[in-house]
Amino acid sequence: MSEILLDVQHLTHVFRLDKHAVIKAVDDVSFQMKKGEILGLVGESGSGKSTVARCIMNVYKPTGGKILYRDIDIGDKAQLRKHRKMLESLRQIIFQDSTSSLNQRMTVADIIAEPMSIHRMRPARGSLRAEAEFQLSYVGMDASYLDKYPTELSGGQRQRVAIARALSMEPELLVADEPIASLDVSIQAQIINLLRHCNREHGCSILFIAHDLSMVEYLCDRVGVMYRGRLVEIAPTAELYANPRHPYTKALLSAIPIPDPIAERSRKRIDFDEVSFDRDGVLTRIAADHFVLMQEEV
Amino acid sequence: MTEKELFTVVGIRPEPPAPKKKVKRLKGFPWISGILLALILLCCLFAELLMTKEPGYLDLQNFNVAPNGEFLFGTDTLGRDIFSGIWYGGRISLTIGFLATLISTLIAVVYGSVSGIAPGWLDALMMRFTEIFLSIPGLLMVLFLQAILGQANVLSLSVVIGVTGWASIAKVVRTEVRQIRNSEYVVASKCMGGKFPHILRKHLAPNFIASIMFMVVMNVRGAIGSESTLSFMGMGLPLEIISWGSMLSLSEKALLTDSWWIIIIPGAFLVTLLMCLTNIGNYLRKSANRKESNL
Ligand SMILES: Nc1ncnc2c1ncn2[C@@H]1O[C@H](COP(=O)(O)OP(=O)(O)OP(=O)(O)O)[C@@H](O)[C@H]1O
Ligand SMILES: [Mg+2]
Repeated sequence: MSEILLDVQHLTHVFRLDKHAVIKAVDDVSFQMKKGEILGLVGESGSGKSTVARCIMNVYKPTGGKILYRDIDIGDKAQLRKHRKMLESLRQIIFQDSTSSLNQRMTVADIIAEPMSIHRMRPARGSLRAEAEFQLSYVGMDASYLDKYPTELSGGQRQRVAIARALSMEPELLVADEPIASLDVSIQAQIINLLRHCNREHGCSILFIAHDLSMVEYLCDRVGVMYRGRLVEIAPTAELYANPRHPYTKALLSAIPIPDPIAERSRKRIDFDEVSFDRDGVLTRIAADHFVLMQEEV
Repeated sequence: MTEKELFTVVGIRPEPPAPKKKVKRLKGFPWISGILLALILLCCLFAELLMTKEPGYLDLQNFNVAPNGEFLFGTDTLGRDIFSGIWYGGRISLTIGFLATLISTLIAVVYGSVSGIAPGWLDALMMRFTEIFLSIPGLLMVLFLQAILGQANVLSLSVVIGVTGWASIAKVVRTEVRQIRNSEYVVASKCMGGKFPHILRKHLAPNFIASIMFMVVMNVRGAIGSESTLSFMGMGLPLEIISWGSMLSLSEKALLTDSWWIIIIPGAFLVTLLMCLTNIGNYLRKSANRKESNL
């Protein structure tokens, strides 16, 4: 299980707003994903998580750095052209906002079958509609939803449709950009279970982007923490939660409520001092698989 | 165990079946206009079944005859039967209307989509061009082109009216495309490997069709109106090609002889058709707006 699926090297992405103003949304981020792994990516709003996801999906062209998918440099035009079809079916993304990522004028059946019809896949279950029905049942919705439009569904149902669409291609890498952020807790748990199931049963690797740390702890094998475009810490989940090293990670973890009123009362919140954040550090290995952004020691 | 049961995810709570959809009603549809339009269309389409005379036959013994049992709508100054001419000529007028609109819409969709997805500078250039185009009176352009092409026939007139009437539709298409092209579902479709034709067909077109439907219907109206105006002025179809416009071009002579039916009858048909199209167009515009606000 140690084969490397995705290798992000020094990824940088800058948005140019006008002649003078630029936003460094992602700044020198490096991480690797193994095959079959669930990697969490957490960080506050605006820390650049979605931008990383979109660079991985070739939506944005990175300003700097390299992204290797199974040794294919996806930033390289010639290699991309050669492997385009394969990449487009192996990588799938679930967008942050299911309302805008589903076309309001298409029925659920058409939405779910869209990737299959783009790739002109021979449906294994007879017709694209039957295929869509199967995918829908997989996310817990029955055939009566096939002819609905997204506006007729609830937020949770829409998100499930988006997930069903992504899963219909049996992706090898699923980028899930805050798939549960807008849902209520019971539905969140169901979707988490669904992702877990996909990972266990179908070996699908998942890049799970979230800002809810308790769900991340339950789902992910490893977690990376982003702050202002930088990856400040990355470690196996248990290690990170037990032994956070970067001050920002500590602050973030101290904000998780504890489901025990007595312990919760004595919980201390650590505040993170933004001014002290040093963005010029280097990701340094402090334990097996545990990396923290630190000032380089001379 | 069925395949479905095998693949169910542990712990997932199935959603209750969706409630049945309510039947959508055509709220506020202009029924009278719709029925009249359908009648006119059907009658023109099956003109051969209705015509009592050969519409182009010059009956020199019976010219300027008032409506009677034999000539239901009378005859014109050349002795042609107006009743037969209405259906036969209506077909020509409608053909020009639809053909010209088809040409305009095709140009508009392609031009608008290209401008919508083009980079900023090209888009600006293309839009300035349409604005210049729009500022020239349509009729003037039609006259000019027709003068170059020489004697008009059905096809050339349709082309001329068609290539001068696309600009306002193109602007709407372009605005819609520009709004949609960065929306997440288009990005999603691109991620899945959707190419431009697929995106145009599946995502862009369904969105702008609702908003240009109204303009397309109005374009049919405009094209039929232009044909009549041109023919009436003697610059469109020649007298021997029967259309509502060329029938009206006899009205000057008719006025001298007090033959009201030569003017009133084709005129009434033309006005009725244009009004029906206007009502339906307005209905489409309102329903498109309603859909938008329902989102
Ligand atoms: N298309 C864009 N143009 C300009 N700036 C952008 C664009 N997209 C994102 N940004 C900026 O880049 C930074 C990172 O944005 P990003 O969407 O990646 O954050 P995020 O971590 O996903 O936040 P959230 O949790 O709110 O989704 C933000 O400062 C944002 O304003
Ligand atoms: Mg985001």
